[in-house]
Amino acid sequence: MKFMLVDKIEKLVPGQEITVSKNLSLAEEYLADHFPSFPVLPGVLILQVAIEAASWLVRLSNDFSHSMLVLKGARQVRYGNFVSPGQCLRVNVKAKEIGLESSLFQAQGTTEGIRTLQAHLQLSHFNLADKDPRAGQIDKRIINHLRQQYQLIAGDLD
Amino acid sequence: MRWIWIDRFTKFEPGKSAQAVKNVSMAEEHLHDHFPGYPVMPASLIIEGVAQTAGVLICQASNFNEKVVLAKISSVEFEGIALPGDTLLYSVEIEKINEQFAVAGGKVSIISAHDKGGNAAPKPLASMELMFSHLDQNMAGRKFPDGNFILTEAVSSLLREILPNGGQKPTSNSSG
Amino acid sequence: MGMSREEIFSRVKETLVEALGVDEDEVVGSATLTGDLGAESIDFLDIVFRLEKAFNIKIPRGELFPENILNNPSFVNEKKLTNEGLAELRTRMPHADLSEFEANPEVDRIAELFTVDAIVRYVEGKAT
Repeated sequence: MKFMLVDKIEKLVPGQEITVSKNLSLAEEYLADHFPSFPVLPGVLILQVAIEAASWLVRLSNDFSHSMLVLKGARQVRYGNFVSPGQCLRVNVKAKEIGLESSLFQAQGTTEGIRTLQAHLQLSHFNLADKDPRAGQIDKRIINHLRQQYQLIAGDLD
Repeated sequence: MRWIWIDRFTKFEPGKSAQAVKNVSMAEEHLHDHFPGYPVMPASLIIEGVAQTAGVLICQASNFNEKVVLAKISSVEFEGIALPGDTLLYSVEIEKINEQFAVAGGKVSIISAHDKGGNAAPKPLASMELMFSHLDQNMAGRKFPDGNFILTEAVSSLLREILPNGGQKPTSNSSG
Repeated sequence: MGMSREEIFSRVKETLVEALGVDEDEVVGSATLTGDLGAESIDFLDIVFRLEKAFNIKIPRGELFPENILNNPSFVNEKKLTNEGLAELRTRMPHADLSEFEANPEVDRIAELFTVDAIVRYVEGKAT
């Protein structure tokens, strides 16, 4: 299974907000364990969709200036309904603040119009070279990969 | 990818607390997408490991009669990241449990690959508060399959390693 | 317990900000939990848990947020509460202000009873 939880970026306003979608398919292997005879998208992967959406918003707002964007914190992450195979989860993330080293967001997700997720997220941004200048080449490689990944999910936005 | 985010229970006090271990390994495929060129254990899967540790503890408290699912992450905070070669230690405590829901506090500490030779103490990596719902109780009207589908074979076998009878409480046959 | 109403209100406000992630200034006495503050069903359980901790009280199931009224056929008729249902609600929710609700007791409006003030009155009641 590929650990990519965003299928398409549907709307993007740099510095402000992003809307992404994730299709859920029974072909995703982990569903066999979650749960046997009752496959649903795990809550933490619903959160991961929001984390990835927020990450793309940061990258596209500051032109991929960091290789590493990771979760610093989250609050009041609430799950409404289950997402089942064949359904599409849509997550909208609004930036409350995008700083140099961290950013704050509010995320809302719906599945076929029904509220699935609400969350407040904080991301932390850095480059590996911040700790070890020799890692600059690794940062560049990661950023190149991310730019290519963006091309796959950006759809018609460009 | 199997949906099991703990490797082994190291402690299990029924109804109260549990500890588990998760190794982070280059052999885990998902790491190579997160991120390409520099594998990092995703924070969301660390949260899942703590949730599974707590979920099993809460489920066992009802003698596996309740289907326990994560309903809310009240708060979670991370101090850093985990890399291949690191070992994560998950420690959870039940703060409240009744027939409707349960609240658990979780702490994550990390033994980094660099420190393993030198016997360094685990360092704090994250802390969180999680709320779990009991499915049948709180989603009236939705039809669920019979049996406790939350308890996969992988989790059951982890429990059998640490608890007599896999944590099943003996059912009483006496009357009155 | 000896807490003043202001102290109780202040602590209830903190609890709701923690549980719901709303801004402090959104938590006014008349604010409804579901309508104004965006609470979901899991949040009601969270609020009970945090109130118990904050005030060192025990809140038995259904005492703060009554259950089993809407699914009792003698209490509901054509999406409105019957007189019996209203009487039951009065008994079970002495901490709620039913005056406006009674004029038009539609089942869909029950959520409007769960206000910040209702929680404050409930906690005050537990203290005496």
